[in-house]
Amino acid sequence: MWNNFKNGFIKENPVFGLYLGMCSALAISTSLNNAIGMGLCVTIVLLFSNVIISAIRKITPDEIRIPVYIVVIATLVTIVEMLVHAFMPELYSSLGVFLSLIVVNCIILGRAEAFASKNGIVTSAVDGIGMGLGYTFALLLISVTREFLTTGGIAFVNPFDATQTLFAFSIEALQPYTISLFSGSVGAFLTFACFAALFAWIKSRSAKKEVK
Amino acid sequence: MKKALILVLFLGIISAIAGIGVGAVNNVTEPIITERLLAAEKQNLEKMFPGAEFAPIEDIDTDDGLVTGAFEVVGKGYAMKVETTGYNSSTPIILLIGFDNDGVITDVMALQQQETDGFGTKVFENENIDSLFVGKGLDEKTDLLSGATVTSTAVQGAIASAQNLLKEIIG
Repeated sequence: MWNNFKNGFIKENPVFGLYLGMCSALAISTSLNNAIGMGLCVTIVLLFSNVIISAIRKITPDEIRIPVYIVVIATLVTIVEMLVHAFMPELYSSLGVFLSLIVVNCIILGRAEAFASKNGIVTSAVDGIGMGLGYTFALLLISVTREFLTTGGIAFVNPFDATQTLFAFSIEALQPYTISLFSGSVGAFLTFACFAALFAWIKSRSAKKEVK
Repeated sequence: MKKALILVLFLGIISAIAGIGVGAVNNVTEPIITERLLAAEKQNLEKMFPGAEFAPIEDIDTDDGLVTGAFEVVGKGYAMKVETTGYNSSTPIILLIGFDNDGVITDVMALQQQETDGFGTKVFENENIDSLFVGKGLDEKTDLLSGATVTSTAVQGAIASAQNLLKEIIG
């Protein structure tokens, strides 16, 4: 079970390993705040969708399993969206449409079909958390890199109260050298490619070790 | 046939449970969301009606969808937010319109506009706002401004949409 959990981070990292959920990962990874917010939303949806789908896996007729999964996922996403809108309005406006697009994030339907529909509730829950945190971890890597390169610092604002900065630093000496290119889509792809290469290298190295 | 019925029933039950869940959460979050929306507009509303109390009006469906927000200014009148496109198609014009209790326009405030400088922008100058819009009753069309036809036509349409909605509200 621990392996299930760990797999989500490096070997089967949904973004860098399985190349799932890239659309949202590229679009919203401009700041640490977005990454943590989006990562948590996806993790929560993934956890509950895995649990529910695993719980009803024995009574779900095979012919209509995909529509059932979609109803479950869409419900969870709508609930999460309403909660974020009510309690974290800043996050809601900065994530915009990508929050509701979690519905079509392939990680969630992918895990439902590939894992939760065949495994027990507890293992599915662990898989959901592992995959969700793996996605969050990938978003963190991309967004911290991009935010640092575009602003020369990192800031984290309390999502419940936008006026309260929890953590921030910025390096004065770097201010003249910030690269605004990285806030756009080109920067997103560049950052993504570098990390994907790094992950592929780690994967191939550990695969070689196993052979020996 | 029987199989199909079971499938339909199953999906129906799942959807019903989902609907109940979403409805329950919506009950909790909706008042908070409306309050937030009101708080966001409050700053501008305060400028137009200092010291007044505001209550958001829900159900603001208009045929053209130009009215994006409506507020009752308790005891003093109404305020409406409209959004329309003038000459600049990339930046919409957003206006806040103040009405008194009888629906006569008391003030128009441009919250956002990037019309052509010196032509379209003339519509939003104080003296023109006074002569074009202020004092118009519910059944009167607001005037156009020569030299800024596109912008003032758009504004006229947006205000007319707000006036129509107000007619329904006042009844």
